[in-house]
Amino acid sequence: MAGFRIQKEKLAGGVVLVAVKGFLDAHTFEQLEKEFADLFDAGSFRLIVDLSGLDYISSAGAGVFIEAIGTAQENEGNIILMRPGPNVKEVFDLLGLSQIFTFKDTREEALQSLARVGA
Amino acid sequence: MRGSLKDRLTVSNDTRHLLAVRDFTGRMARQGPLPPEEVHKITLAVDEAVTNIIEHGFNQGEKGSIEIEAEWEGEKFRVTIRDSARVFNPDSIPSPDVQEHVKAGRKKGLGLFLMRQIMDEVKYRYKDGTQNELTMVKYVKAK
Repeated sequence: MAGFRIQKEKLAGGVVLVAVKGFLDAHTFEQLEKEFADLFDAGSFRLIVDLSGLDYISSAGAGVFIEAIGTAQENEGNIILMRPGPNVKEVFDLLGLSQIFTFKDTREEALQSLARVGA
Repeated sequence: MRGSLKDRLTVSNDTRHLLAVRDFTGRMARQGPLPPEEVHKITLAVDEAVTNIIEHGFNQGEKGSIEIEAEWEGEKFRVTIRDSARVFNPDSIPSPDVQEHVKAGRKKGLGLFLMRQIMDEVKYRYKDGTQNELTMVKYVKAK
């Protein structure tokens, strides 16, 4: 589907890096929802999501993260968000999600943050 | 004082048109003296309003159209969204306690919350008994 892309990379310790790019809105959010569901089905609950390539997010997109972090944390995992652009971060701030999610600037910092949970 | 500038976009009730809705809103909002972050937020508010209409206003498979009218009037940017979907009065829905909402993993209702957070005015009326009309206003200088 045009406008939104997902790339996955397996990192050390069973962590999966999910890079999202483009527009995450009511038209595209199901792609990410399915990706998270597939990862959870495969037993991957420790995720880093690289938001640096994400141009736009609406509440439909933010809702995917709200749902997914609950599942991840219930399974001794977490979702660490990395490098959102100002417009994307603004939406997380407006929805009060910045108090729920951990944001990191680098992959190393994100991995360190995840090493403290469930390992 | 700025002059008046007005344009209109009509789309069908399909989320694939959200990109066009955002492009239109952003293009219109940028005609006035709003900083880029405000333009982004207004675009988001309009996206949320149109998304709500598409997702909740029509029955499965029902075809409908949504008209978005954007207008600069002096220092005031007004977006009016009209649709023939079922009656939906957002005034009847209280804003959720977003913190509690999010902690409970609930994701619905956040669009309306964002619209109210972002815009200076959000008003609804059922026009002529046939049409929902949602008007959202942003002032260049908050009132």
